[in-house]
Amino acid sequence: MRINRFIALFFFGMFLFPLIIQKEAWGEERDDIKKQMQELRQQMEAMQKKLEELEEKNRMLEEEAKKQKEEREVEKAITEAVPAPPREGYLQRVIQSLNPDISVIGIFTAAYFSENDPIIHAENDPENTGINLQEIEIGFQGVIDPYFRFDSFFSIGRDSFETEEAYATTLLSLPLNSQVRIGLMRAKFGRINLQHRHSQDFVTLALPAADFLGEHLNPVGIEFNFLAPLPWFMELTASVNSANGLETPTFAPDEDANNLGRLLYIFHLANFFEITEALSLSLGGSFATGSNGTEPGNRSNLYGVDLFAKYRPLKNNPYQEVWLQSEFMYLQAESEEGDLDNWGAYAQLVYRFAKRWNAGFRFDFVDTDTPVTPMEEEELEGSSLLRVMRSEEGEEEESMLGLLGKELRYAVMLTFNPTEFSRIRLQYEFDDPDFADSFHAVFLQFQYSLGAHGAHPF
Amino acid sequence: MKTQKFLQSLALHFCLALLVIAFSLFASAIDALAKVKVVASLPTFAAITKEIGGDKVEVESLAKGYQDPHFVDAKPSYVLKLNRADLLIYNGLDLEIGWLPPLITGSRNSKITSTNSPGNLNASTLISNILEVPTMRVDRSMGDIHPGGNPHYILDPKNGIAVANGIAERLKEIDPKNSSYYDQRLKDFVKRLNAKAKEWEEKLAPYKGTKIVPYHKSWNYFSDWAGFQEVGYVEPKPGIPPSPSYVADLIRKIQGMNVKLVIAESYYPQKVPALIAQKAGASFLVLPAQVGGGDGINTYFDLLDAIVNDVTSKLENMKQAVNSSNLAGG
Repeated sequence: MRINRFIALFFFGMFLFPLIIQKEAWGEERDDIKKQMQELRQQMEAMQKKLEELEEKNRMLEEEAKKQKEEREVEKAITEAVPAPPREGYLQRVIQSLNPDISVIGIFTAAYFSENDPIIHAENDPENTGINLQEIEIGFQGVIDPYFRFDSFFSIGRDSFETEEAYATTLLSLPLNSQVRIGLMRAKFGRINLQHRHSQDFVTLALPAADFLGEHLNPVGIEFNFLAPLPWFMELTASVNSANGLETPTFAPDEDANNLGRLLYIFHLANFFEITEALSLSLGGSFATGSNGTEPGNRSNLYGVDLFAKYRPLKNNPYQEVWLQSEFMYLQAESEEGDLDNWGAYAQLVYRFAKRWNAGFRFDFVDTDTPVTPMEEEELEGSSLLRVMRSEEGEEEESMLGLLGKELRYAVMLTFNPTEFSRIRLQYEFDDPDFADSFHAVFLQFQYSLGAHGAHPF
Repeated sequence: MKTQKFLQSLALHFCLALLVIAFSLFASAIDALAKVKVVASLPTFAAITKEIGGDKVEVESLAKGYQDPHFVDAKPSYVLKLNRADLLIYNGLDLEIGWLPPLITGSRNSKITSTNSPGNLNASTLISNILEVPTMRVDRSMGDIHPGGNPHYILDPKNGIAVANGIAERLKEIDPKNSSYYDQRLKDFVKRLNAKAKEWEEKLAPYKGTKIVPYHKSWNYFSDWAGFQEVGYVEPKPGIPPSPSYVADLIRKIQGMNVKLVIAESYYPQKVPALIAQKAGASFLVLPAQVGGGDGINTYFDLLDAIVNDVTSKLENMKQAVNSSNLAGG
């Protein structure tokens, strides 16, 4: 700036100078002056050039410094972002133990039946008027090593104990996107068979599941699940199992134990479609075949179709959703008296109308070939599959698990979940079997879960 | 006859299995040419990954930005996404405990099933200042607490830098040939974020000490950064909806405190916080807490921009209203 002013003054002076000179001297001096002027001008230009260069250099240096400072800041921010090693607190020590995740879930139900001797379809349903212990489920779950995880669930009553599930799952990448489960597990047959009591929507178990699968179909076996490389989720499941000790008369071990063809084979195909962000649909088919224990070589074939649709608009009412779950089952059983055809279905619609509340309606029925009335003990020697009540040491077990004929049932329920870990459910049921009097039932169910936070299956 | 039928069905399944083999071979051939596939549990992590990975990665988020991250449906289609992922990034500190673990187990993908494999990034391990780490034994009478500390750390830009750095490290480990690319993008991201953070802090500076009442304990990190003071919560305990008597108590408690803002994410009920704000003489603000939590919020910068701008403009308006009413009164 100052330099410029100096230059301007200089030039001004330069212009004035010759004028003054001209008045006093003419001739040679003029040439001299001209020369001097030229020299001066050249010097000036050189100075200006140098000045510009210096300014340029200065700017470059400043920019460089700024860049370096920024880079230093970035480096600093990045290095500061690396967390210090965590302090070993009391909690860390607790969390760091390699114990499995433990959970305990208790289900208690106050029940009122309008009948004296209501028909109980599934083992863990409430049995009679009064307060019932439905189930205490204890779970131990954890990762075994980089290759397997292990999940186990034990169902405990006042004086009963059942290993509900205890199986390992592979965690490694296997060819064909497959996953293997080994152990005692709820078989992938339909949908409700995979739902533990505490994650079901109603107090009682749907009739087709109770009658054809027992409380749950949980054989010991090896199961292969394949994830098909398709744009949508499609899972193929095939398992080979032993039917020993199942709670259902549908399948039983064959006396001809060395015959591989007579083990229990279960297949399932699951599809899942995300139709829109809010609407999902899963559609599956199942097939189970195995001997039924009536006579060597007699088998049961059980077919199932399952449907689950869920509508949950995320944007407007994030905690409102509606889901529909429905299954159809068809059982074909060979017996000495010819083939028996039994079928059943249920459909349940649940509406969650607030974050902690839901209400639902269920309709379920079974239709069996040969309606039979509850039998006397001595009649149990008949070879009809439906009348086989396996007994242990002469003690009658599950005398009502057989199939009894046509039966319809309706249920409505209202559920309140104070938190994710407790539940209160009120349910009314109307049961209309054609082999006995129809009756009403009202249930008030309480459910509590303690320990590890279980994830919610879809 | 019967065995024939059985054999037929077995044969059928065998054929199906063969079909699956053919398919998967085809699929793996295509895979060989692909970019690094990243799946983030939440959209904010997906956004930061995009900043670092650029066109060398393919990023997907499972949850939506306008969704409560505690309660996401574990859809089987997510299993498919995880099955094909090279890297899974999730928040950790039990935020996704209700839905993510079974998806990881079902993924059949050893790149992500082990907690310490390069493809499994629990982003909370990158954070050095986790707030509210319990120092005593916790139980659920405290509500739905997170034993590892408060999981909503991403709303503090310095944690954004930590996460970005962690993501860059993992990408370099998984895809070493593009290391310098990721480094360059990380530097660029941090530079822009630092500049923006200065801007945001300048904007927030005049409002240090502002008293606010959030719906859920999801704003602690933001308040910590902005210098706000949280004097109460709309929820009596995390995850427990407010009862009328609690709301009445809360209003009484905060009435004389000069609380300026009541804030809630869009997925929480709006009526109760709005009422509390009105009674306490505060303003009610619905704020996004994730990228994608509102229109035009597509990057981490957009998210913090939206939050800071909404908060400061609201506070500015309130100040002016007070001044003008004072003038009118005086």
